[in-house]
Amino acid sequence: MQISLNVVLVMITLIYLFLILKAIRKKKLQMSFSIFWLITGVLLIIALLIPNLVETISVVLGFEVPANMIFCITIFVSFYLIFNLTISLSKENRKNTLLIQELSMLKKRVEELEKNAK
Amino acid sequence: MKVLLIIPAYNEEENILNTCQKIQEFSEEIDFIVINDGSKDNTEKILQENHLNHINLVENLGIGGAVQTGYKYAFAKDYDIAIQFDGDGQHDIHYLPNICEPILQGKANMVIGTRYLDKDSSEFQSTFMRRLGSNILSFVIKLCTKKKITDPTSGFRAVDKKLIEEFAKEYPTEYPEPESTVCMLRKGYRIVEVPVSMNERQGGTSSIRFWTSADYMIKVVLAIMIDSIKKEKRKEK
Repeated sequence: MQISLNVVLVMITLIYLFLILKAIRKKKLQMSFSIFWLITGVLLIIALLIPNLVETISVVLGFEVPANMIFCITIFVSFYLIFNLTISLSKENRKNTLLIQELSMLKKRVEELEKNAK
Repeated sequence: MKVLLIIPAYNEEENILNTCQKIQEFSEEIDFIVINDGSKDNTEKILQENHLNHINLVENLGIGGAVQTGYKYAFAKDYDIAIQFDGDGQHDIHYLPNICEPILQGKANMVIGTRYLDKDSSEFQSTFMRRLGSNILSFVIKLCTKKKITDPTSGFRAVDKKLIEEFAKEYPTEYPEPESTVCMLRKGYRIVEVPVSMNERQGGTSSIRFWTSADYMIKVVLAIMIDSIKKEKRKEK
């Protein structure tokens, strides 16, 4: 890989890490998600800084081209993440429904009590 | 015997008053609760002004979430029978005794008012596509539960105290009628169908059932099949 390209990639990854840290500092991210994104950033930096690391691993694992390994990993991780997102979304939907129902029933109850109190 | 009618209503300003008046004309004794599912029209105002017993959902939940609110209300108020009844005038209140009877006799936990059982009495048998849809669903339900349900999407149904509790705890939100039917069959509850006739909608547009779309069919069939792999506690005997 050309040195200049490597430098650009490292810089982009640093920006990526910076954005993650910023989001964590501003409390925009839940801890478990923060950990996930931080790990991805750190792994990227390691892969970029240690020469031939990706190549060596891909050869050992039997990939014909290092890029294939990268794609493979990326796709697996993305799928895993999306799957987990749909799970937590379903959970949130459930909670949301419950909240709307309970709130609406409480409102009715309060109105009735107010009416009776008058 | 305390009986509650659960009437889900979403943008039903044209029908809801009429529906409630018909119920009151039929019997003064019957309790009903209209679940206003976050309607954007004047439904809430009409309910308020006419002092009709209702719950306003603060956000739109869809038919499943709305009906479940009714079951929760029925559970909290200790009703013996809860009957789901459409707010759009499709259902005929005169069938109320018929639909309660099997529960009163202890023959069923759930009674479904079915359009297709009695060919003569039903003026509104619905279109060919609808019947085809129902037939396909019946077939899939038979495959999954070995029980025959002719009209699994009918929204006119009564449940006993035990099922009020079950539904208050858990109720499918996306395809409520067919899913809840299958779920209760799998849990070992008895479901009976009685013939009813249904009217065409008296006004407004049906937001509840996207009948004509094949999309709905495919999703419900998949939902029923997926439901049948879910872990389900059978009722305690």
